[in-house]
Amino acid sequence: MNLGVFINDYKSTVETVDRLKADKLGFIFVQNGVFHTTLKEHGKSSPLLDKTTNLYVLAEDIATRGLTEADVDKRVKVVTYSDVVDLIFNDYEKLAWL
Amino acid sequence: MSNVTCAFIIQRPPYKSETSTLGFTHAISWQVVEMLLDEGQNVVPTVCFVGEGVLNLYTNQKAMENYGVTSIESHGKNSLLVDLDMLVCKEDLERFGIPEDRLLDAEDMGADKKLQIVPYAEIQKAMESCKHLLFF
Amino acid sequence: MGTLTIGCFASLVGSKSLDFTLKLANAAADKGHKVNLWLSGNATVMGKNHQKHLKDYSTGEKPTMELLKKGVEICECEACALARGIQKPDAIEGIQWNAMHWYLAKIYNSDRVLHVGGE
Repeated sequence: MNLGVFINDYKSTVETVDRLKADKLGFIFVQNGVFHTTLKEHGKSSPLLDKTTNLYVLAEDIATRGLTEADVDKRVKVVTYSDVVDLIFNDYEKLAWL
Repeated sequence: MSNVTCAFIIQRPPYKSETSTLGFTHAISWQVVEMLLDEGQNVVPTVCFVGEGVLNLYTNQKAMENYGVTSIESHGKNSLLVDLDMLVCKEDLERFGIPEDRLLDAEDMGADKKLQIVPYAEIQKAMESCKHLLFF
Repeated sequence: MGTLTIGCFASLVGSKSLDFTLKLANAAADKGHKVNLWLSGNATVMGKNHQKHLKDYSTGEKPTMELLKKGVEICECEACALARGIQKPDAIEGIQWNAMHWYLAKIYNSDRVLHVGGE
């Protein structure tokens, strides 16, 4: 299955996300989930960024938190709401909000 | 005409929030969804319990006595009574040390269905075979 | 063009998940997709009219009315609303009231479903 996962929190969802398997897995980081793409806890990037190469972060939600594209891990593509709609319809047949 | 299958994944623990309760009540509503669809169409949920979601399934809950609200156990029993498939992650029950005899069933209500305790791999299969996923 | 059904269970005030939902619904509608929006649990408070936009709180009434104008179907869980003291005369005009099977019925005809759970 092609599964797009909206990661909207920083800590609480990692366990569930870790178990998910999909032929094509995409992470769309929104709300406080965006911190996965910007923080390096103890010098290390979020392990979620190693799970797939299909990584997206919502521009509006990084800006809201005082962050910029320069703070975002280079593996992650910064996207708009319009881009998210295209991801939903073109890339991921199933969606999860975690 | 065909059925659309959905996997309702309940991962939140009981009572502190309304989330898991709403997972049950929305799944149970499959019983009447045909009213809004054409003949031969239906939506069929499979309810799966993973992580802290398995903590919803204890028997002997006293929510009505203590809060005046329908217990999640009661919603679980009604789910079985309306023939929903309910898959419970075996690994998570083991991890929390919850034995099978502490889990709800609806035998006293005449339900044919029982909770199905399965490896996580079976829940993954349910997620793959359904059309839509809903995480509660 | 496809059909997207979004179920939102998060509250308008105290969470930004409903704000996200409204913005996503708007973006999808602007691209010509059919959008259905189901409000349940604490999200039903968004269906209440005469919301005052105080700067410390999210507001949903204006964006909701814009979505309705764009043809987005919005429905809230009647039981959830009544339990929160919201009566039909208090509802934003154009929002439907129904029970949970409305959501499942919309799911039946949807290409994509995003279930934004409660917190």
